[in-house]
Amino acid sequence: MKGSDVSITVTDLTLRFPVYGVDSKSLKKHLARITVGGKLGRTTMGVTEVTALSKVNMRLRAGDRLGLIGHNGSGKTSLLRALAGAYEPDEGTIDVHGQIAAMLDLNLGIDPSATGLDNIRLRGRIAGLSAKEIDQRMQEIADFTGLGPFLAMPLKTYSAGMQARLAFAVATAVHADVLLMDEWISVGDADFQKIAHQRILQLMERAGILVLASHDHELIRLYCNKVMRIEAGVASPIMDVKKLDELLPAA
Amino acid sequence: MQSVQHMVRTGRRGPMHEFSMAFADLRASFDRAGLAWSLAWHDIVSRYRGSMLGPFWITLSMGLMVAGIGFLYANLFKVPVNEFIPYVALGIVFWGMIANVILEGCQTFVQASGILSQTALPMFTFVWRTVMRNVINLMHHVVIIVGVLVFYDHWRQANVPVGAVGLLLLLANISWMSLAVGLASARFRDIPQIVGSVIQFSMFMTPVFWLPGGRLVDHAVLLLNPFYHLLQVVRAPLLGQSVDALTYIVLGVLAVVGWIATFSTFAVIRRRIVHYL
Repeated sequence: MKGSDVSITVTDLTLRFPVYGVDSKSLKKHLARITVGGKLGRTTMGVTEVTALSKVNMRLRAGDRLGLIGHNGSGKTSLLRALAGAYEPDEGTIDVHGQIAAMLDLNLGIDPSATGLDNIRLRGRIAGLSAKEIDQRMQEIADFTGLGPFLAMPLKTYSAGMQARLAFAVATAVHADVLLMDEWISVGDADFQKIAHQRILQLMERAGILVLASHDHELIRLYCNKVMRIEAGVASPIMDVKKLDELLPAA
Repeated sequence: MQSVQHMVRTGRRGPMHEFSMAFADLRASFDRAGLAWSLAWHDIVSRYRGSMLGPFWITLSMGLMVAGIGFLYANLFKVPVNEFIPYVALGIVFWGMIANVILEGCQTFVQASGILSQTALPMFTFVWRTVMRNVINLMHHVVIIVGVLVFYDHWRQANVPVGAVGLLLLLANISWMSLAVGLASARFRDIPQIVGSVIQFSMFMTPVFWLPGGRLVDHAVLLLNPFYHLLQVVRAPLLGQSVDALTYIVLGVLAVVGWIATFSTFAVIRRRIVHYL
């Protein structure tokens, strides 16, 4: 895909999701409740509906690097998951042109007892590479992780930083146009931060889009040129990153 | 080759839209059938990592079961061993496939929750992963079937093409059952136990390792049991027997009705599945 065609358009996105109580996940208790007419003492039957995002609008074009800020539970990750295509909107539309790579959870499709190399294959397949492409790029990906001989060891022996290296190496090997990242990138050491930085710059040269959720304002200033604040599911307008301070609540 | 180049996601727009999105999911899973295969293959490799025989361990234990049950029941029922062992071998191997596709179906979505909650991969990919994993296992267990048929000199009668058609009909049915229990287990966590009990009960009610003779010939206990037909449609041709037209009718109708009902349910709750997990 030509870099210039890459875009994300989100219109009036509302995302609600049900949170099921323990008992509401039990079919037997549902049946029991029906048969005894609802008199079964205190149960946690309730299905609470949480509105994770309401009426979010945004428009990103090639070259935009958006930083998402907001408190825990404000809806940053939900927005990323919706952009990745995992959460379906309840209202509104999400329209993404371009190959998406989501790095939201380090544990995506990994098998802790498999070796690092096996996990590169597994993740690569999930990320959309063919088996042949993985074989071709295996050396490059392995080099990029910088894990060397550790790649032959089971993933469960890895530290969080090592897992992050592996995940990042595979995810960015896909030549994605749209990179969605939750803030775990900060778990890597200084070395890794540096190479990750270069990869993101490369992505920018290909005129992709980056959406990064983070609490670290310095990280956002470093990588992003735009910023959006989400508060209880409501998004602010997208602003230039130089105005980041204006978005922060008066301390 | 690559997953999503253009993705549009919208809120609910009526039932027709929900169905077309569900079909899009199914189509996408076929486009990326190689992914389901890779995942299934990975499951096999990782399950048997470090063991020398791999899935042949299960083949070995199945073989022992065939031998044990074969000789014991042949004597109990007073039937010739060379007739009975091929019957039991086919019964145990294909019953194992039926039972495991359905039992493992319960975990299809639950196990994939990490992937489903952050990628746009088609949900059907994970259904095929469960089915393919068991097809790979079956390919190992074919050793037992071939061995027994050759040893007891039954291979000349075996009608493999008709058996293969039967296997397709079997797969068409157990894959919707697998999807159905997968959807139910995603929503209700006690479904796997219930499914486990039902499968165990069915194993005893189905002629897996007993011969339906005497009073049971054409008895309702058999004819109303879908598992009897599922087993019969593969086993009979491989033993050189003919398959009742009734079996084909039952399985054909069951496949169509089952798929329509399960797929419709999938279309309706598709958006919610990821939140159940």
